[in-house]
Amino acid sequence: MEKAEQIMEGCLLGGKLMLRYGAETYRVEDTMTRMSRSAGMQEVSSFVTTTGIFLAFRTKEGQELMQMIRVRERFQDLSKVTSVNQVSREFTHGELTIEETIQRLKDIEHAPMNYPLWLIYLASGIGGAAFSYLMGGSAFDVLPAFIGGLITTVSLVLYQAYLKVKFFSEFLAAFTGSIAAVLMVYSGFGINVDQVIIGALIPLVPGIPLTNSVRDLMSGDLVAGVARGAEAGVSSLSIAAGVAVSLSILYIT
Amino acid sequence: MWLELIFCFIATIAFGIIFNIPLRLVWWGGLIGMTAWFIYSSLPYFGWSSVFAAAAAAFTAAFLSHLLARFRRVPVTTFTIPGIIPLVPGGRAYSTMLAFVEEDYYNGLQLGVETVLQAGAIAAGLVFALSIFSIGKGVGQRYETNR
Repeated sequence: MEKAEQIMEGCLLGGKLMLRYGAETYRVEDTMTRMSRSAGMQEVSSFVTTTGIFLAFRTKEGQELMQMIRVRERFQDLSKVTSVNQVSREFTHGELTIEETIQRLKDIEHAPMNYPLWLIYLASGIGGAAFSYLMGGSAFDVLPAFIGGLITTVSLVLYQAYLKVKFFSEFLAAFTGSIAAVLMVYSGFGINVDQVIIGALIPLVPGIPLTNSVRDLMSGDLVAGVARGAEAGVSSLSIAAGVAVSLSILYIT
Repeated sequence: MWLELIFCFIATIAFGIIFNIPLRLVWWGGLIGMTAWFIYSSLPYFGWSSVFAAAAAAFTAAFLSHLLARFRRVPVTTFTIPGIIPLVPGGRAYSTMLAFVEEDYYNGLQLGVETVLQAGAIAAGLVFALSIFSIGKGVGQRYETNR
């Protein structure tokens, strides 16, 4: 009996990590089903939405188990999804016991981010700079776009750490980034205000919800797909509202 | 053109780091993003509309991502997400907001429709590539033909 509960714990931990760090719903369901099937469970059914996981199976002795967990926080960390995928693959092939699997999953859960925070700041600056060149084609605006992208991501992380409100901090970060871009252009540091603002805001694009929403809708997980699409839509709207507020301040004064 | 491709490679790698993709996979994402941008920026020279070019580029990016994901045995999102980032209609979305702020609703609606169409085209490209790779294992619909 201990074993069945351990398998339940392992599957739920793997599913929780995958869902929290940005995997598609289909992949979470598939991983949990495969893991519990390979452990000899029958009548496995898993149901995953964007914010919660249900898993039920029956052991060989006929004992029914069913549990659900709620996933409150969602981050973007695809390297953890890749490592959980690897662990579940090894467990399914019988290379790991359930104790080792749970231990490795807990290690993944407690591990720090794949890249240090300063590298992510730097990358969003570089991404913003390169993207602004792709959009506008003026080489003089690459440096202000770099600074803008840096300011946007730093302020997003700060707002999320202190305010802990998802969409509002995206709104504030978009507002801060575009105000910084406008100020840089007006002090003669850049030329095209459009290009600098686009470069400053592009690190905020909700890439993971957008892609996952399409994927979920296609594989028939309609609840999760629509929910992810709504998340991406509200994120985009709050970014757009941040830009609109800063531009209106600019046009009034 | 070469400069643009190099910038696109750098941008895609930077986005890979923003999304915390492992370092051994980031370079592949950069190559996919570069290919997508090459298709997206060169098809309009042959008279294709930019919406159609976005769909074709997203299809190519997603197709390559699925192939690579099979090959490297990792989740496919590690490649698709940075791969389609260069196609995101950031410039049009910004112009839409600018037009609405300036109370130029007519242009704003036009640009907004263009933005939505391009986003839809990217989604369509993703869906096509996904459909090719899930032939035979998708979900059933409408008629039960197998009994």
